[in-house]
Amino acid sequence: MKRHYACDIVVVGAGPAGLSAAQAAAEKNLDVVVVDANSHPGGQYYMQPLGAGSVFARSAQVMRGKTRIRGATAAGVKMLLATEVWGAVPGFVLHARDADDAVCIESKVVIAATGAHDRVQAFPGWTLPGVMTPGAAQRLAKTSSVPPGRRTVLAGSGPFLLPVAGAILKAGGTLVEVVEAQSSLLSTLPLLAAHPNKWLETMRLLFPVLAARTRLRFGEVVVAASGEKRVREVELAPLDAEGQPDFARRRVVPDIDSLLVGFGFQPQIELTAVLGCRHHFDEEAGGWCCTVEKDCGATDTSGVFAAGEVCGVNGAVPAALSGRIAGLAAAGHILDEETAFERRTLARSLQRARRFARGLNRRFMPPAGLIGRLPDETVICRCEDVTAGEIRETITEGMDTIHGVKLWTRAGMGPCQARTCGWSLARLVAEETGNSMEAIGFSRPRMPLRPVPLNVVRDSLQQVEE
Amino acid sequence: MSRTAEVIVVGAGVVGSAIGAELAVLGHDVMIVEQGMPGAAVSGASLACIGSHMVDMEELPLLAWACEAWRTLDEEVGGFEHNPCGQLRFILNEEDLATARAWIDVERNAGLDVTLLDPAEVLEVEPSLTGPIMAASWSKDDAVVNPFLAVRAFLNRARDCGARLETRCRVDSLIEREGKITGVRCATTDMSAEHIVLASGPWTARLAASLGMNLPVRPRKAQCLATVRIPPSIRRVVGACESDGGVEAGYTQIQQSRNGQVLFNTVLADGCVSDGAPDRIPEVDTAFVRDSVEMLLFLFPDLWSAHLLRSWVRFEAVTPDSRFLIGPLGPEGLWVAAGDCGTGFTRAPAIARLIGQMLGGEHPAFDTTLYEPDRFSCERPAST
Repeated sequence: MKRHYACDIVVVGAGPAGLSAAQAAAEKNLDVVVVDANSHPGGQYYMQPLGAGSVFARSAQVMRGKTRIRGATAAGVKMLLATEVWGAVPGFVLHARDADDAVCIESKVVIAATGAHDRVQAFPGWTLPGVMTPGAAQRLAKTSSVPPGRRTVLAGSGPFLLPVAGAILKAGGTLVEVVEAQSSLLSTLPLLAAHPNKWLETMRLLFPVLAARTRLRFGEVVVAASGEKRVREVELAPLDAEGQPDFARRRVVPDIDSLLVGFGFQPQIELTAVLGCRHHFDEEAGGWCCTVEKDCGATDTSGVFAAGEVCGVNGAVPAALSGRIAGLAAAGHILDEETAFERRTLARSLQRARRFARGLNRRFMPPAGLIGRLPDETVICRCEDVTAGEIRETITEGMDTIHGVKLWTRAGMGPCQARTCGWSLARLVAEETGNSMEAIGFSRPRMPLRPVPLNVVRDSLQQVEE
Repeated sequence: MSRTAEVIVVGAGVVGSAIGAELAVLGHDVMIVEQGMPGAAVSGASLACIGSHMVDMEELPLLAWACEAWRTLDEEVGGFEHNPCGQLRFILNEEDLATARAWIDVERNAGLDVTLLDPAEVLEVEPSLTGPIMAASWSKDDAVVNPFLAVRAFLNRARDCGARLETRCRVDSLIEREGKITGVRCATTDMSAEHIVLASGPWTARLAASLGMNLPVRPRKAQCLATVRIPPSIRRVVGACESDGGVEAGYTQIQQSRNGQVLFNTVLADGCVSDGAPDRIPEVDTAFVRDSVEMLLFLFPDLWSAHLLRSWVRFEAVTPDSRFLIGPLGPEGLWVAAGDCGTGFTRAPAIARLIGQMLGGEHPAFDTTLYEPDRFSCERPAST
């Protein structure tokens, strides 16, 4: 079956950026549709529990999310949920699917608020059942009140580990350890001192972890996981002065059934890439980001705006602000109305909020030498079963870019289209070749943005022309 | 590394890599210069069918030899998934049936094993092709290869014989002195050579233009789709019968790769050229996606639930008569081997052989008048 919608503005993504953008545009009396692949709006930050009796139902973040969602709906925004966008044609037509239904949305303007996804790091054992990303574990906990396991080790780097720890504890899980790769948090103190508005939030994030007397370790990274049918133990090693894991001093944490490893996020640029927008590399903002004009969110493709994490990973507050800016600017684009005055104050707040976020990102950069030292037999691309050794071999034959390695090994060609392995692959190629992450490029997204059944494609494209 | 070679091959697609390997095997000092990654532009985006069926009647001796050369390469080197799966060309109407009969007559006379099958016989050869076709031609000896790994195999052979490969090195122009080619100019350096072979696909015309020559090699948009891996469903290369309309009449090609992905495309109208071709690669056209999916499901209705995973676009190098330009061009020492028209894989070993023979002053093994680079009187005025 095929459903068809026509509107002024389609917003892709119902997280903080998308909701703010949609509401701002709808308040200008425009017809706005928001599409999101999840069954509830809110994105990762304002994630809404699926059941009414959830322990998360009344949490501050969920309540704030509810307010945002209500605000957008009250302004007249139409939500198409459980609807995944797989194609985008200039002009604009978005092709999406709701289960086996084809959904086509025509609009004058597209606002990409597609967010970010976990940056996955490969290590021996990372493909074992029970090994997940912190983002996935948080989703499981917050939507379904299910912890990722009974005994969990949470490792990686960055402030995001704290809300994940909090969610797991609240969902009834046990955190054996939380392991932060940075050697201490002291470096964040000057940053916090300069942003007093962040103190309360910091306390709120720290409190449940401290109250549960969770064991916190610093300056260590996961170097391997093992187990027969499921992860049973994890090996951790301290980082030496050069940021390399010191294998001689590694230790084992036994008796676990889940391991979460995360090193922040990377922007989801499939939609903006397919729409032909320019992207740039910004390591501190998560890698390849959609390039937008700061004060309006316009990309270099006319009629396409972008807001939130897709333009650089900065967290929810900047995302919401940039969403509102993009919503206003997009409305101005259609109505031929000047919105610069309204946007100016928002842009100033955005700049300040981004300064804090960038400061945090800089302090929690993933250690540089983790991937280069992986043993040859470590799987990097799990869709196509490509090992570090096979990738190294093609590099010695002259394939010194992501695209080149992909062609000869199939790394990144599988169903996830490098969403999972892309970062590990990029780090491996960069470390082995000595080329910069920017020079080695990225695996360019193409239509479809996500795998889609052929009958849905057929239904969607019938009578597109003639 | 020395920036001098006896022969510089510009382009490491399948044609350039095959030429590089051939010349290196013959003992020439070869440098292959590639602007991006080997096989990453036109060749890698190909469906890499190795076949002589319904390609070109006048080229049959060369095509048959080339198919045999691929089989030999598979035996000697291997590692590029050479799969002698055979090719079916489906027929939907009486006119195409007549066309197919004419092709089959000529090809059988040339000694090729090609037959006409009725729908029941087609099902024996390709059990999941249950769509309502009228008949199909069946060319048992056609094959497919993995395009990336085939290029890799040629390059490895070239390097084993001493050839050098420079990647991410774009040639901006050709250098000529007193009627002789002397080298190429890249962004950061000049390289000198006695011979330059342009195997640069849709970029060939730009390079020839740097010496004031106007080569009629144009980029044409070609597109393709792939599903996720599915269990073995399609055994053969399945193509549309060559219609009387020639290249303008469109084409279909469907196959399942060794790892399980179904690769397919159907072009009903002539591919359009978009802005920035061939340097900027656009997205696939909506009408192309629709036609390709409809044709796939028309022939293989059971695949409706398979998931589409990927699309890609490449720019083939097209000449006015759909044949390659192979041979000497302009100043002494300059050679060209370009104009794949989307079927460069099959011919690559034969083109390499021809270039090897011509460059070495031997008599070419095949009729080269078909491929003469100046057959469209594209030479620059004699004054220069």
